[in-house]
Amino acid sequence: MKVLRNIINWPMAMARCFAREWHTVLHDPGALIFFVILPLMYPIAYTLIYNPEVVRELPVAVVDHDRSFESRKLVRDASASPTIEIYDYVPDMPAARDLMARGDVMGILEIPSGYGRKIGRMEQANATFYCQMSLLLRYRAFVSAITNVQLKDIADITAQRADMLGQAGSSLSEAPIENEEHMLGDEEQGFASFVMPGVLVLILQQSMLLGICLLGGTSQERRRRNRGIDPRDVPGAPASAMAWGRAFCYVTFYMAAVVWLFDAVPVMFNLPHNISLVHTFLLMLPFCFASAFLGQAMTYFVKDRESCFIVIAFTSLVYLFLSGLTWPMYAMPQMWVEAGKAIPGVWAVSAFIRMNANSATLADCAPAMCWLWGLTAAYSLLAILFYRHIARRSRRLYGATAAARS
Amino acid sequence: MKQFWQSLCYGYRYICRRRLYIVCMVFVPLLCTLFFLSLLQEGLPVRVPTAVVDLDHSPMSRSMTRSLGAVQMVDVTRACDSYDEARRAVQSGEVYGFYVIPANFQEDALAGRKPVINYFCDMTYFVPGTFSYKGYKSVAVQATAALVAESAASKGISTRTISALIKPMSIDVNPIHNPWTNYSMYLTPSFCMCLLELMVIMVTIMTVTYEIKENHSRRWLRDNGNSIVLAVTGKLLPQTLIFCIVGWAMQGLMYGFGHFPMSCPHWVMALALFLLVTASQGFGLFVSCMVPNVRMALSVGTLFAMLAFSFTGFSFPVQSMYGFMGVFSWLAPIRYYFLIHVQQCLNGVALYYSRLWFVMLIVLTLAPALMLWRLKRACLRQVYVP
Repeated sequence: MKVLRNIINWPMAMARCFAREWHTVLHDPGALIFFVILPLMYPIAYTLIYNPEVVRELPVAVVDHDRSFESRKLVRDASASPTIEIYDYVPDMPAARDLMARGDVMGILEIPSGYGRKIGRMEQANATFYCQMSLLLRYRAFVSAITNVQLKDIADITAQRADMLGQAGSSLSEAPIENEEHMLGDEEQGFASFVMPGVLVLILQQSMLLGICLLGGTSQERRRRNRGIDPRDVPGAPASAMAWGRAFCYVTFYMAAVVWLFDAVPVMFNLPHNISLVHTFLLMLPFCFASAFLGQAMTYFVKDRESCFIVIAFTSLVYLFLSGLTWPMYAMPQMWVEAGKAIPGVWAVSAFIRMNANSATLADCAPAMCWLWGLTAAYSLLAILFYRHIARRSRRLYGATAAARS
Repeated sequence: MKQFWQSLCYGYRYICRRRLYIVCMVFVPLLCTLFFLSLLQEGLPVRVPTAVVDLDHSPMSRSMTRSLGAVQMVDVTRACDSYDEARRAVQSGEVYGFYVIPANFQEDALAGRKPVINYFCDMTYFVPGTFSYKGYKSVAVQATAALVAESAASKGISTRTISALIKPMSIDVNPIHNPWTNYSMYLTPSFCMCLLELMVIMVTIMTVTYEIKENHSRRWLRDNGNSIVLAVTGKLLPQTLIFCIVGWAMQGLMYGFGHFPMSCPHWVMALALFLLVTASQGFGLFVSCMVPNVRMALSVGTLFAMLAFSFTGFSFPVQSMYGFMGVFSWLAPIRYYFLIHVQQCLNGVALYYSRLWFVMLIVLTLAPALMLWRLKRACLRQVYVP
C-alpha cells in the first residue's frame, strides 16, 4: 500500500516542485536576465560581431624592383582580388617593414628585378609575398588570394607561350583534367556561418547553467538565514521529485529559447539552416535536460547568489575548445576528447552543426543522442545526491526543525 | 602610512577568507593555461581524416589516391564506393571531406576528354575543411601538371621548356615569424590572457561590491578614514600582486616551458601583463562605480569580458567588423595587451610602435578615479538589492 501511495505521491510532489520553481524564476529578476535576456541578446551581439563573414581588402605594400609591364600586371591582378588592396608602392623593404610595424599594411609583395625579363625568356619567374601572422584568418585569406592570382597569371603566360610553340604547344595550354571544388555546409566560407551554430548551442547551455546556479546560490542563502530551511522548497518532496520538477521547469522555460536560437536567429542572419523545427526539438530536448541536471549538480560549488558568475563564466571557453569547433577533435589528446564527452554542449554542438549545416539525419547523430540521454540520467543522479546531501547537512547543522521540513 | 598598511592587510585577509577567490585567482588561470598548452600541443591539426571515392580503379586513379595519402595535410582513412556513402561519412562526422575520381578517368584523361575531379570539403569545421581543401587542390594541380608534362614530352618539347610551360611563375608566401603556421602560438597567449582579464574583472567587482551586500561597507569606509581611494587601493593592491605573479607564471609556462616565440626583451611582456592586470582592475572598478550592485555589476562586467573574447579580434579582425561593434574592442584592456603581444612578442618591432597601447592601458587603469564618488555614495547608503 505504501509503495502504491509513493507512486501516486511522487508525480504530485514533482508537479508541486515544478510549479514552485516556475513561480521562483518568474519572481527573480536575476534568473530572468539569464533565462530570457541572455539567450535573447547574446546571439544578436555575437552574430553582429562576426556578420561581415569574410575579410576583404587587406592592405598590402608593393616593393617592385622590376617596374616592367609583367610586374605591373601582377600587381594589377593582385589588386583585382577582393582580398587584397594595394596600399602603396614603396622603394625598398625597410620602408615596407616600417609600414607593417605601424600596422598600416598586413602583407608585402616583393617583385625582384628581372621578373619581366625571365617571363620573356621563357624561364620561371618568382615573386615573394610576406604575410603578417597576427591572425590566421588573414593568412588564410592571403594564401587563397595569392594562389588564385598565381593560377590566373600562370594560365595567361602558359597560353602565350603555347602560342609561341606553334602546333606542338597548342594542346598544352589547356588542362587535361578539370577539377571542381565544393564547400559543404558553409559555401561562402564565412566566419559567422561557421562559428555561430556552435556558439548558439553553448549560449543555451551556459545561460541555463548560470541561471540555475544563481537560483541554487540564492536558495543556499535562504537556507543559511532560516536555520537550514529554504521556505521556497516544497515540504516533504523527495530529492528525486525536486530534481526532476525543477529540470522540467527549466526545460519548458527554454523551449521558446530553442525556437529563437535555432530557428529565428539563423533565419534572421541568413546562417546555414537545414534542420527542421521538429528535429531541433528532438535534439535539444535531451540536451536541455542534461544541462538542467548538470546545472543543479554544479550548484554544489555555489554558496551564494553571485558566485555563479565566477564558477560558470570561464568554463564557456573550455567547453568551446572541447567541442572541437575551433580545434578539431582528431588533433586533441585523447584525454581531452574523453573529458569532453561528459559535457552535454560538446555532443549538442557536433550534432547540431552536422544536422543544421550538412543536413545530417537524427540517425546520423544517434551516438550523440544516446550520450545526451545518458548524461541526463547521470547528472540527474548527481543532482539527486546533491539535494540529499543538502538535506543531511541541514539536519546535522540545525537538527529537528530542518529535518521535519525536509 | 599606518592606515594604508592596515588597509592592505584587510585587503589581503579579505581574499584569503574565501576559498573561491583563491581558486579563481590562482588555480583557474594556471590550469587553463596548462589545458591550452596540452590541448593545442600539436600546433597544426594536419592529417585531416578524409575519404576517397574511386569510381575508376585504374592505375592512374590509384596513383592519385596514393598521392593524396602522401600529402601532409590529409589522411585517407576511408575508401567509399559511392558519393552517397562518402557524404554520409561526412554527415556522421567520420571524415571532413572527400575526393571523387570519376569512372573512365584514365581513359578520358589520355584521350583528352577532360574528365572532372570533384572534391568536397566540410567547411562547417573551418580548420580541417581548409586543410583538406589545400590537400585536394595540390593533388589535382599536380596530376594535371604531370599529364601536361607527359604529353609535351611525347611531342618532343625539351624538359626545360616543359617546366617553364607548367609553372612559368610562382609567388612564394612567407608567413613572418611563424613559418610553421603554429596555431597554438596565437591561440594560447591571447585566449589565456583574456581569461585572466575575465577573472580579474570578476574578482575586482565581487570583492568591492560584496561589502555592500554584507552590510560592511560603512565600516569599511570608516576604517579607511572615510577615504574611498584608500579603501579601494588597500583592497585591490594585494589582488594586483597575486594576479601579476599568476600572470607571470602563465607567461613562464608559455614562453619558457612551451617555447613560444618572444622577440622582445622579457620585461616588455612582464610590464604589459602588469598593466593588463591593473587596467582590468580599473575596468572592474569602473563598472562597480557605475552599477554599485554586486549582481548587476557582475552581469555587466562578465557580459563585456565574455564578449571581449570575440570583439578583441583574436579570430576575426576588428578592422573587418562593423564599426559599431569594433568600437567596443577599444574599451577592453585585453585589446591593447593583444596588440603589444603581436607587435612586440611576435613581430619584434621597436617599442616605439607600441607606445600608444601602453598609454591606453594606463588610462584604463586610472579611468575609475573619476567615478569613485558614486561607489562611496553607494557604500554609505549600504543598500543591497538582490
